[in-house]
Amino acid sequence: MTSMKRSISSAFTIAEMEARKIRHDSTELWTRLVQPALWLLVFGEVLNHIKDLSPNGFSYLQFITPGVLAQSVLFVSIFYGITVVWERDVGLLTKLLSTPSPRMSIIIGKSLAAGVRGLFQAIMIFSLALIIGVNLRFDILDIAGVLIVIVLFAMCFSSLSMLLASFLKTRDKMMGIGQALTMPLFFASNAIYPVSLMPTWLQYISLCNPLSYVVDAIRAMLLTGNYANLPIDITVLMFSTVLFISLASISIKRLVD
Amino acid sequence: MIVRAVEVEGLTKIYRSYIKSVDAIRFSVEEGEIFGLLGPNGAGKTTTIKMITTLTRPTAGAISVFGIDCLKYPETVRMMMGYVPQAVSVDVDLTGYENLLIFSKLFFVNKEARETRISNALDYMGLTDRAHDLVKQYSGGMMRRLEIAQAIVNRPRMLFLDEPTIGLDPASRRHVWEHIKQLRKEFGTTIFITTHDMNEADELCDRIAIMDSGRIAVSGTPAELKRTVGGEVITLKIPSQTQVESLPEEMGRITSNAQGSMTISTEKGDEAIPKILQYLKKMEIDVESISLSKPTLDDVFMKYTKQRISETEDHRKVRSERRSFMRRTR
Repeated sequence: MTSMKRSISSAFTIAEMEARKIRHDSTELWTRLVQPALWLLVFGEVLNHIKDLSPNGFSYLQFITPGVLAQSVLFVSIFYGITVVWERDVGLLTKLLSTPSPRMSIIIGKSLAAGVRGLFQAIMIFSLALIIGVNLRFDILDIAGVLIVIVLFAMCFSSLSMLLASFLKTRDKMMGIGQALTMPLFFASNAIYPVSLMPTWLQYISLCNPLSYVVDAIRAMLLTGNYANLPIDITVLMFSTVLFISLASISIKRLVD
Repeated sequence: MIVRAVEVEGLTKIYRSYIKSVDAIRFSVEEGEIFGLLGPNGAGKTTTIKMITTLTRPTAGAISVFGIDCLKYPETVRMMMGYVPQAVSVDVDLTGYENLLIFSKLFFVNKEARETRISNALDYMGLTDRAHDLVKQYSGGMMRRLEIAQAIVNRPRMLFLDEPTIGLDPASRRHVWEHIKQLRKEFGTTIFITTHDMNEADELCDRIAIMDSGRIAVSGTPAELKRTVGGEVITLKIPSQTQVESLPEEMGRITSNAQGSMTISTEKGDEAIPKILQYLKKMEIDVESISLSKPTLDDVFMKYTKQRISETEDHRKVRSERRSFMRRTR
């Protein structure tokens, strides 16, 4: 086998490992749906009545659905590093790293697994949005595009989380940093309100926030059908994903050192 | 030139630029032998094993496994070895079979060979009938056996076991020992273990090295090392009024003789006892009882490290961690 083939096969094996675990026990997936459901059913429904929040003739519920989608995937992936720390604590990570599989494959495999979890979230939130009658563009190509963006996004933030884990090394600290990151990322993005309503300083911050690009891409495909920004969105996302995966692959060995 | 299974030269690991965990050690492991690295916790055993298994980069020194440089070609070395770390290293949320499947894939075992290898490993470790149960339902001994099974699906030439029986009850421990010995016998696998358990070292190892504060204090076969702490001691009970002043040289040397209790220091106690009995019979001295005590590796350890290798706090911690881990996952 060539080394390229080996790397790919290892990555999929790691992802398969995670998928098999979910198959044995999927409780976690379902409990993670509670939060996005609340955002849609409570927050979305209530604020739906405020006209200012409904830009370009879309209802607020329509506007917030892509935001909630992205946010729920963010939550799944930003805490992914905790799993890796846990695996280090028990000895599983040491064993994984002692196999001939390249480190990068291990990171890619694990981030792919986060992608699978993200996909599940996305599908469930889509279904929920359908049930409560949110009007979205259900075009096959758009949906496929959204799913690809979701997977990339989950890979991006789960590898960032693994990168952080390799420096913080404990579950407590990871919990802390996860909490400290999610809300600022969420609020400084266009997920639950339009950027135009933000104070100017926050608008600048939102420009550096990968979440904004993700939400923008999803919104373009699900809602507006305006693909003008899509190339920038995807480029930023791809770049961050490759960057975080590479950094995490180099630093993961710090966890077992 | 003979290629050694492991060859380590001037190996040093310094943590945070001042903690010398391993200090310029040098040793080698021959192909096909069971080699034991002994020492109290914190002696640097795990760090040494991690450097050989390419998990940690040494600060200085050279390591080769079957002649391959561990620093230059870590992935080639990883391909040839199996490693069972001290902590639980199987995924408890998967079945036993799945654990082996994933690892055989990570070791690039051919698709055609995979199923045979897995069922052999399961069979070999006595886990076939529980293969499709989740590992969280396994006992501690079964988990350990699965960990070893996982490390042998790729038929490694070299197997590293870090404290292989820590946290196991005596029966499971014996079970694991039998499997380790059988592995070497059937596949000729070279086995490297670390342990703090002197019985384990005595039972399993062809050669041992005693490590203390990052250095190798002494190495050799268990028998050689025991000889270095002096001979065996024979204790006799004889009627208190009788006196024995001396013994012929080949029987040993009387070290004390008071109130009917006599101790004799000798080289080979088993052979000396009949001679001594015969000699005393000729002198018409009735022997009431006789006992022989042989030096243990514990005595060897005592001599070279100036401390008893009893169960330390840290070992108790690892053991209780392994146990509570299992309780938690149930």
